[in-house]
Order: sequence, then C-alpha cells, then structure tokens
Amino acid sequence: MQIRILKPGLMSTIQDLGRYQYLSQAVPVCGAMDTLSARIANKAVGNEDNAAVIEFTYADAEFVSETDLLIAYAGDGAILKSGEQELPCDRPLFIPSGTFIKLTNNPSGCRTYLAIAGGWDVPEILGSRSTFLIAGFGGMDGRVLKKGDTLKNEATQSVSTQKIFKSLNYGKVNYPEWSIPRQLLLPADRKAIRVVPANEFGWFNSRSTADFMSASHIIGRQSNRMGYHLEGVLLHRVKHHELLSTAVTPGTIQVTGSGSLVLLMADCQTTGGYPRIAKVAAVDMPLCGQLKPGDALNFKEIGLREAEMLYIEREQHLQQLTTAVQTKYL
Amino acid sequence: MQEEVSQIYYLSEVAVTVEFGQQIAENLLTAVNNLNVLLYERPFPGFKTTVPAYATLTVFYDPILVIKSNLPGTGSFEKVSGYLSDLKLQSNTTKAVKGDVVTIPVCYDLDFGPDLTEVASVHQISTAEVIKLHSAGAYKVYMMGFMPGFAYLGGMNAQLTTPRKATPRKSVPAGAVGIAGQQTGIYPLETPGGWQIIGQTPLRLFDVNREQPSLLKAGDTVIFKPIDIHAFNQLTAW
Repeated sequence: MQIRILKPGLMSTIQDLGRYQYLSQAVPVCGAMDTLSARIANKAVGNEDNAAVIEFTYADAEFVSETDLLIAYAGDGAILKSGEQELPCDRPLFIPSGTFIKLTNNPSGCRTYLAIAGGWDVPEILGSRSTFLIAGFGGMDGRVLKKGDTLKNEATQSVSTQKIFKSLNYGKVNYPEWSIPRQLLLPADRKAIRVVPANEFGWFNSRSTADFMSASHIIGRQSNRMGYHLEGVLLHRVKHHELLSTAVTPGTIQVTGSGSLVLLMADCQTTGGYPRIAKVAAVDMPLCGQLKPGDALNFKEIGLREAEMLYIEREQHLQQLTTAVQTKYL
Repeated sequence: MQEEVSQIYYLSEVAVTVEFGQQIAENLLTAVNNLNVLLYERPFPGFKTTVPAYATLTVFYDPILVIKSNLPGTGSFEKVSGYLSDLKLQSNTTKAVKGDVVTIPVCYDLDFGPDLTEVASVHQISTAEVIKLHSAGAYKVYMMGFMPGFAYLGGMNAQLTTPRKATPRKSVPAGAVGIAGQQTGIYPLETPGGWQIIGQTPLRLFDVNREQPSLLKAGDTVIFKPIDIHAFNQLTAW
C-alpha cells in the first residue's frame, strides 16, 4: 500500500509510542503527543499499538492513495474527506487506489493520527520509528513530511488486519458499522487536567499552590512538541535553593526562574533543573496533546495511588478494545 | 556541609527517582553509579531503563508488569520503591564502579576556537595558556542531559571560569568545545548556543548508527588531547 503527500500541512511527522531505551544518553522520548488517538487508529486496522502513524497538526493537508488502502484515523485535529464525502474516524477505512483525501478543519483539537495496515514503513532508529526533529533522526529521514513524499506500509500484517482488509475490499470507499468508542475513554470535561503534586510542590507558598490548582491556565504561543508555556499565574517560592539537574518526563510541570509554568511534552529534554510543582496524570496526557495555543485548562489534584489506578484501568480498557476488534474477525 | 537526605519519590506513573542527596559530590556520584550498575545486574520484573543524574537515579518501568509481579506492596510505586530501597542498602557496600577513560582530540586553532582570544583576555593570559589549562585536566562525566550525547563535565580549572557570550550564536557546529561559567562541554549536535567556543573535536559525540550512540556516559573520565589541523582533517576523513 502506498500514498503520496500532495500537501503536507503545518507539521506532519511519523511517530509511534516513543523511544525509551536511550534516555540515559539524553535521547528524548518523542512519540505521538496524543498516544490514545494513535493507539486507537492502530487498533482500528488490527495493528499493534506501537505501529508507526502519521501525526498531522491541524488540517490543510492532502494525500492520494497510489494503491488500495486500509487506513484509520483518530484525533481531534481534522476530519478526513474524499471529495465531499466525510470519512468516519476511529474505524477501518478501505480506500481504493487513486482517491484524493483531504484533512479539513476540526476546531475541537489540533492533532490527527493516520494509521495504515501494518504501520508506516520507516526504519527503526534506536528502538523506535518516532521522528526527533531537533537531532534529525527517526521517522521520515528525521524531518517533517513534505510535498511529493511517498509512504508505504510494512509488508508484515496481523491476521486481523488481513481479515479487515478482505471484509471491506469492494472497490469503493468502504467501512464497517462499528467504530472504537474513543469518546468513552475520555472524561466529560476535557479541559480539566488531573495532576499529582510533584517532588518540589512544597517549595512554593500556599497562595501559589492554591492559585496553581484553581486558576485557568492559557496555552502560550511559544508552545510546541517540547513543551507548553502556561500563562495566567506566576508562582512564588518559599524555598530558594537551586534544584540539581535531575530526570524530568513528558507531563512534568516545571516552574521557571520567573515563576511561570512549563508543561513538558513528548520531545522534552531528559533532565532539567527547574523545580517541579506537579505531574499531569498519564491518562490525561492525550488530552494535553490536543490543546492548542490560546486554549484554557484547569488542574485538578489527585493522589499518586489514584493516578496509578487510572493508568491500569486505561490499559485494561485498551486491551479489551484490541480483543474486541480481533473477535469481530475470527 | 548539608545533611544528606535520601529518599525515593514519584516522577510519573512509569518512573521513580532515588535521591541520594542535593549537591554535587564524588560520593553521591559513586552512589548513583553503583545503584545503576547493580540494578542492571538484578533488574525487577517490568524494569525498563534508568536516567542517572548528579545525585539521583531515575528508574523507568512498565507498571502492568510490576503489578503482576510478586514484589511486596500495593501499587507499582510502592513495589518498585520497596525493591529499590533494598537494593540501595546492598549497593552501598559495593566498591566504586570505574567508568571508561575517553580521550577526545581537540583542535584549538583560532578557526575552530573563535572565542579563544576572548577567554584569554578575560583572564589576562595567552591563548596558549588557555589551551594548556583546558587540556591538562581530567574531567568527570557527572551526567548526560540537555540533548542527545551531551555530557555535563566536572573538574575544569577554576582559572578558566568565563561567563557565557552576551549574545548567543545562531549556530554552533557539532563537536564544538566550549566554556560556560565553571563548566566545559562539547556540543553533540549543531544548535544555537551561548558558550565560549575554544576548539573543535573531529569525533562524533552522538551517532545513531553506533551500537552505543553516545560517545560518553555518566561516570566516564574525559581527557582533551590537543591536535593540529592536519590531524583534525585526517580524523575527519577517517
């Protein structure tokens, strides 16, 4: 299967679920900003969750199928259309060769993930197919997709993938009745982000920590895949000594020297020296991956044990979804 | 001296940090390194990887595998931190693990060291003296961070302490050797930067095609060996 990029969009990269084995050499995690959507797009075509997907940022992108395709998309950055026909998300799509597909505006979020049968075929670098733009490796030659790029799928596909393809292959755009209920996995209020207090939470005065938990924070313009600047409150410290550089991770919320907040995202450095006030619950990181400059969010404090339970529940739920797709195509 | 408070704290649902203290000190670096080595020898179910830093070792794991294991405790944080505190007690008694000694050839020609004269004039010494002081030291890799392959080096002669450039450069080449405050370091990738650049190594500090992409790792010792432009070119061609 193969597509050709006609219009790459604002920033389109190949990502998977990230690169973890070289953190000690200061290689960042990278990977999909909204891992939940990336995983759901993969599940819908019978792939492993970690298969390579294309991460599109906003809409305004276009590609053409150069062969018959089995694809799926998920996320809130765009709605896919073939001509005037809207293609549904969160389910497998059979697309015949020669179909032009456009990403059109979906103002609810900013990132969309496109999975293909078997995953996109790019070399695995340091144990992952994720693009790391700053160092220029991973994904498509370490860069964003550009006009004229052709992308193929992996030759090896799961039995479910093959069966899904066969069941939909009738020479025209086709998809099943079922879809993966992504909405059921998401909380009703997508702008209330759950956080666990981090190790330096006590370094700030009580007024500041109260502000942190109650105020609205606005995603700043300077935000990117490395991190989001959060505008709205400045925090004041009661403990003034320096933090020795130590490990940080996507989801860590740092407080800079001026008291402003930075939420670290997928491409963040592996270590940092700013005090850390909180960590976004892993289950809510996909929500953060859909936020865009100007969006407002609030934090809601939860305990470490609750964050762990939510993580386990989410993983179990996702595992059940994989099983559900497989059982449809026994 | 500050009292050393040792603790294990939550970093995320998939990582905990073991903190040995809150300062840069040889004994803490040794403690971090020893626990790291011991953990790789005796990993727990679900163990993934570590990030050593000045006084902390951060341990990443798969919570699903940790929960399924028979490690004592409820929840993955409790199970992993319990395992690590036991391991830490045992690692205290093991002797220091030696890192590798890595010799890094550096060409200190003015073409490669555009800030050599500035550094020399700040300290009112000759550029030859700067080179001599910089290449005389044995530097310890305290930790890796900032960008792939970047080593935080300790042990620079205090006489070379120089503030960063007032205006950062838009681009510093990969392999540039610089000074910032009390630190010296090597840029692994081409990037903007404000360090005082005094030389250039032909070695690749980070290369995804190597089995160990980073030339340096925490615990190594670095020696800078001055080379001339001919040796530099030969090493680059090779």
